[in-house]
Amino acid sequence: MRNRISLFGWPELIAVLLLSCGFFVPMFTRSVLIYSVLNQVFIGVVAAQSVWIMLRMNLLSFATPAFMALGGYTVAIAGRYEITNAFVVTAGAFLVPALVAVPLGALVLRLRGTYFVLVTFVLSEIVQLLIFETPSLTGGSDGISGVPPVTLLGTDMATNRQVLQFCCGIAVLATVVTGGLTRYFRQHFAAIEENEILAESLGLVVWRYKALGFVVAAGIAGLAGFALVSMLLTAHPSSFAAAIAVDFIAYTIIGGPTSILGPLFGTGALVYATNLFGTHGQYAQGLYGILILIVMLVARGGIVGTVGLLFNRLRGARR
Amino acid sequence: MAQFLQAAIIGLSLGAQYALLALGFTLIFGILGVVNFAHGGFYMLGGYVAYSCVALLGVPYPLAVLIAVAATAALGWVFELFLLERLVDDHLATLMLTLGLYLILSNGLLQTFGPLAMEFRFPVSGAIRLGPVYVPQENLIVLAICLAAIVALWVVLYRTDLGRGLRALADDRAVAMAQGLRPKLLFPMAFALATGLAGLTGALVTPILALSPGVGDPVLATSFLTVILGGLGSLQGAALAAFAVGLVEAFCSVYFGGSIGALILFVLVLLLLVFRPTGLLGRTVRGA
Repeated sequence: MRNRISLFGWPELIAVLLLSCGFFVPMFTRSVLIYSVLNQVFIGVVAAQSVWIMLRMNLLSFATPAFMALGGYTVAIAGRYEITNAFVVTAGAFLVPALVAVPLGALVLRLRGTYFVLVTFVLSEIVQLLIFETPSLTGGSDGISGVPPVTLLGTDMATNRQVLQFCCGIAVLATVVTGGLTRYFRQHFAAIEENEILAESLGLVVWRYKALGFVVAAGIAGLAGFALVSMLLTAHPSSFAAAIAVDFIAYTIIGGPTSILGPLFGTGALVYATNLFGTHGQYAQGLYGILILIVMLVARGGIVGTVGLLFNRLRGARR
Repeated sequence: MAQFLQAAIIGLSLGAQYALLALGFTLIFGILGVVNFAHGGFYMLGGYVAYSCVALLGVPYPLAVLIAVAATAALGWVFELFLLERLVDDHLATLMLTLGLYLILSNGLLQTFGPLAMEFRFPVSGAIRLGPVYVPQENLIVLAICLAAIVALWVVLYRTDLGRGLRALADDRAVAMAQGLRPKLLFPMAFALATGLAGLTGALVTPILALSPGVGDPVLATSFLTVILGGLGSLQGAALAAFAVGLVEAFCSVYFGGSIGALILFVLVLLLLVFRPTGLLGRTVRGA
């Protein structure tokens, strides 16, 4: 029972603290490039956390772009009706995908392994096609441009600095929710990851925890979509293409799927590496591919797992 | 009526192309239990190898197609033998490995050939009149080659020792190994066979449709659609589903336009996955 009431551990605390540093970046620099990179990191971290929640239950989800689209378009459509209050739209961006995920979860969580991967991929394709087929609501292939900036306590989040700090806030919020969920249900998720059938036979109501994880992961992805739309002030179908799920999966796997720090370090390293290429950013996908192969073949723990392993070896050698 | 027939012929032609792709995809899953995310990449690679042979080396197109098949099969064989084989029993790891390979392949092609579509044309052009409709000659040739390749694959799988070995490994690997079959020898061959089929399709189809670094994504999505409809791992199911997908796509694009056809297919596949994961034929080939 002691573990059940533990909502935060060291990894969660470190993740929140690291992300919170983003609030103070404008005190040191006004570089648009740094702001842009950090915004990409914050959005990527949130989306990768959505993937990570499902991976805690050994489920690889390609549905992140679908739920990001739901969150992003919710905010864009709310903007048409001049609903821009930050608290209201944040709640909407989380709740709409989460509510959609309830009936969807009842359907797709019957599947496991490869079939789950395929059904989530199909889901993202369907949402993408639905966006194209409903131009009166979503703007179709043109998307919705000119989305008004959100307002926080009467102030428009319109300047680069405000957008950065707002995206940072979203990332911190998502990390608190993700960390709280996965820490509180750590043993349940671990049992499902280890052996779902055995866990069920021992009395664990597996579907309840899988459904909870799926719904929260959808809400977290919705927040990523919201942050993306807030940054671009446009909701466009290309921002939510099914193929971008690969990026978020790469962030999570390369960062390390065993800790909440994995999505954070994975996103940070890959977004930074992508921007290192400068005008040759198109190399990024190839880099992701090479890193995925390396991680899967020689460093299954990703960045965080490998660093942890090296740290433990060093500590063991000293003793 | 002419419009109906025209759509039916286009649908059959598309179906034959999809069948070649889906057979390779489902062959890999049925025998190795691997979902090959790099399948679209091998299709692209086949197209680019054929293009390079024709445009840069002046090789005749039929020979270029054979070289493309050999190149994609060789890469598939090497990839399976040296990388995939090490983690072949881990579904998630193999999926990630093929995803990594796809990213490397598509990015490598993008860097080598640039983002623009290549000027790659089928060597035969013109149309043949069949009753009230005109059918492009290149479509008929591709249809004939695809059907011949499907028959050849059937012969390999059902009339040769190699095929019997592969099917035995797909049915029960432990028993097959006890009988003396060697997965380390046969798995790379199965993978090479499948990637060679993807390369063949790429070399045949990209001169008719398009050849650019992005063409692998829709191919992967179509392969998914087809093999799920047919039942993952089922060769007969994949072949039947491929023609069904081709016909639905063709009729929907003629009569409805837009992406309604794709949307209908994806929703159908979603429902199938949820309520009948074994596909239309309902035969369980391999637990996923």
